[in-house]
Amino acid sequence: MAKIGAPELTGRIEIPKLAEGASADQKSYIAKPDNMAALSFPRERLPNWKEKAIEKFGELLKKYRSLQLSMDICVKCGACTDKCHYFIGTKDPKNMPVARQELMRKVYRKYFTTEGKLFGGLARAADLDDNLLDEWFTYFYQCSECRRCSYYCPYGIDTAEITMAAREIMDSIGYGQKYTLEIIGKAETIGNNLGMLGPALRNTLDFVEEEIKDNTGVDIKLPTDVEGADVLLVTPSADFFATPHVESLIGYAKVFHQAGISWTFSSYASEAGNFGMFIGNYDHMKTINKRIWDAARELKVKRVIAGECGHAWRAMYSFSNTLNGPFDYLDKKYPSPVHICEFTLDLVKKGAIKLDKSANDGFTVTFHDSCNVARASRMGDKIGGQFIIPRELIKAACNKYVEMSRGTTHAETFCCGGGGGLLTDELIDLRVKGAMPRMQALKAVIDSNGVNFFALICAICKAQFTKIFPYYGLEMEMVGGVHQLVSRAIILGAKEGV
Amino acid sequence: MPTIDFKGKQIEVDEDGYLVNLDDWNEELANYLAEIEEVQMTDAHWEVVNFLRNYYKQYQIAPMIKILVKEIGKVMGPEKGNTKYLYELYPGGPAKQACKIAGLPKPTGCV
Amino acid sequence: MLTVIAYAVAVIFVWGILSRFIIWLSSPNPLKIPTTPAPKTFSGVVARIAGEVVLFQSLFKADKKLWLGGWIFHVSFLLIVLRHSRYFLYPVPEWVMVFQTIGIYAGFTLILALAFLFIRRLTIDRVNYVSSFMDYAVLLLLMLIGITGLTMKFIGRPNLIDIKAYILGLFSLSPEAMPDSTVFILHLLLFLLLLLYFPFSKLLHAGGVFISTTRTQTDTPVEKRHITPWAK
Ligand code: SF4
Ligand code: SF4
Ligand code: SF4
Repeated sequence: MAKIGAPELTGRIEIPKLAEGASADQKSYIAKPDNMAALSFPRERLPNWKEKAIEKFGELLKKYRSLQLSMDICVKCGACTDKCHYFIGTKDPKNMPVARQELMRKVYRKYFTTEGKLFGGLARAADLDDNLLDEWFTYFYQCSECRRCSYYCPYGIDTAEITMAAREIMDSIGYGQKYTLEIIGKAETIGNNLGMLGPALRNTLDFVEEEIKDNTGVDIKLPTDVEGADVLLVTPSADFFATPHVESLIGYAKVFHQAGISWTFSSYASEAGNFGMFIGNYDHMKTINKRIWDAARELKVKRVIAGECGHAWRAMYSFSNTLNGPFDYLDKKYPSPVHICEFTLDLVKKGAIKLDKSANDGFTVTFHDSCNVARASRMGDKIGGQFIIPRELIKAACNKYVEMSRGTTHAETFCCGGGGGLLTDELIDLRVKGAMPRMQALKAVIDSNGVNFFALICAICKAQFTKIFPYYGLEMEMVGGVHQLVSRAIILGAKEGV
Repeated sequence: MPTIDFKGKQIEVDEDGYLVNLDDWNEELANYLAEIEEVQMTDAHWEVVNFLRNYYKQYQIAPMIKILVKEIGKVMGPEKGNTKYLYELYPGGPAKQACKIAGLPKPTGCV
Repeated sequence: MLTVIAYAVAVIFVWGILSRFIIWLSSPNPLKIPTTPAPKTFSGVVARIAGEVVLFQSLFKADKKLWLGGWIFHVSFLLIVLRHSRYFLYPVPEWVMVFQTIGIYAGFTLILALAFLFIRRLTIDRVNYVSSFMDYAVLLLLMLIGITGLTMKFIGRPNLIDIKAYILGLFSLSPEAMPDSTVFILHLLLFLLLLLYFPFSKLLHAGGVFISTTRTQTDTPVEKRHITPWAK
């Protein structure tokens, strides 16, 4: 495997000098023919791939205004050039958002503009040849679709949209990425990204029930497929497998139990995540999302709640209603999915559950805003609720909370470095480097405030940080979920006065 | 499809070196895979591998890390029933590296 | 000759902009993708866009120096256009007089701001990396327009009466004789070149910013089902 160099942790984020080609060797694996075919993509790269790609490009321009506009209006002001964590971490100029866009815009100019036809190279128009396609495959899988660049662009140009379009074009000519497509395949056939079948899910949940019983003495159930339950909880399947993810799972279960609300998982829709979004494919996104709503209808639940997952929340909050709405079969009071943080905080505020903050006195906590929650969705009614709600919940569960430096949190948050379909081992060097800005900001509060708990609300973030912390010499045990804190603090047992 | 050469036999593996066919696996091959991973197999390592294989046979997936941790704690003593110990055994991660040596496919997802 | 060119450019300009807007508006937004936090109401969106157009607020968050340079350039440009309106309007309205002196200053700040943008593009390695010949060329073009303009004011001093008559003639579609001033002709030609380039280039940002999907959508995916014909 390639050399994996973790940058030094200084607590400062510095904008690097360009190093051309620095991350050119970080390439995703190409999807297997069977995988491609299962998702109705060509098995292998088509012989006439170039014409097909241009054709698809033209089609997408007509289908997505965001794409058409961003091709036309970027003035190359450079405001976004130092905003991408992958650029800051790898120093590779092609990871500057506008340079990433240019990989596509070059082709746009050549095939779709008068400027490109008249001035050619002077206007940087270029043919989509093998080399360029290769660069597409490399650098459009070095973007986590985190939208940080879009936040700063004077015209709101969103590189994530361009990355999605590029991936869609590549898939359509038979040039897909193994990681995302394999997972979409599992999500569409088995119902979750891990490929965990019903019996395994049940066995896992039985085990978790035993664990809770051993540790608390309380019988808390994690039910599956209960018809007529009030709540369908849809959570990333990583919660059924990985650590620290499972600690949040335990947290959710305790919350439902203590609040006395009947709930269930669905073994048919046992995944909140939606990798269809990562590859910019409307149909796959819709198919994966549909499982949730079919399950909700079948189980006759009143409402749907989403567990801790960044892009899943975007898919459920921002896209569900478009993809598979309207949800008139749910309770009129809860016409759309609610984020678990909002749900729990609400119960805390109503006094339906009680948290003992001192249970977390061993921790000084900071919170990482997940990009898809921060810049692509909302929680609750208030604008910016996605920042307020998780923080209020954390503060209700612990005494010591610290904010990381300005410019690295809220809407300006840095991605974990593993989002958007890049959480795959062959990209580990990219992931380590892409995490650098976040790590620097974290390092600063570790040094100044003794932070020792890094609270997250995204399965990918959790997996990514657990994996890369050791490269930076940090303990992976610091990484945890917001509901992990809730789980430790919640007071179980008879309720006073309710 | 890449292969590894084991005792004159070509064994199919994926890009990361995970066996493509579960049935290709045997203890000798496991030792060989461990060698490639620079893992020195001890009883404790075998305990993990055997448990993974049995679990996989039953459920077609590797167990949750916590289940593995608990099992190892049961067999090897409670002081070893923690994630840290598993990482000591398999620095490449108990899920990914141990699965590789056990001949299971790589767990992928948001993990 | 100049007259013919001027009319041709005007036609291309208007046609170019219109057809671009037709392309933009005819391609739909299948999904709700506002960059959040985003306003929930239409008036909120108007305020957001006003903030972008008048104050360049995203740019302000991104890069203070660039913001200052860019903002000064655009405001100067606007002031100069307003000052020029006295050449197109007859009789000259009161308000135009307000911009006469300040419009001259704006000529200088425009050139300074452009020079700053040019140097910045050249010297910051990241920006230089993404810049093409055309990105520099358009800055130079704008600078030349400014310089020829100021030359007329301070050095050449052509006959203003002739020029105004010529321009009014152009606007009323009954062209008069071309004024006899090389600087003026150059100034006008360069400006026409700018107009010609406009609808086919990144200069379109001036229109695009008003319909940018991520900035103009409300954050209301739940409140109101968002559907487009192809994405049902
Ligand atoms: S900030 Fe926007 S306009 Fe400026 S270079 Fe980046 S994408 Fe282009
Ligand atoms: S969306 Fe995120 S990862 Fe992609 S270019 Fe923009 S800042 Fe970088
Ligand atoms: S994984 Fe988490 S931090 Fe990374 S892109 Fe997704 S939401 Fe953002």
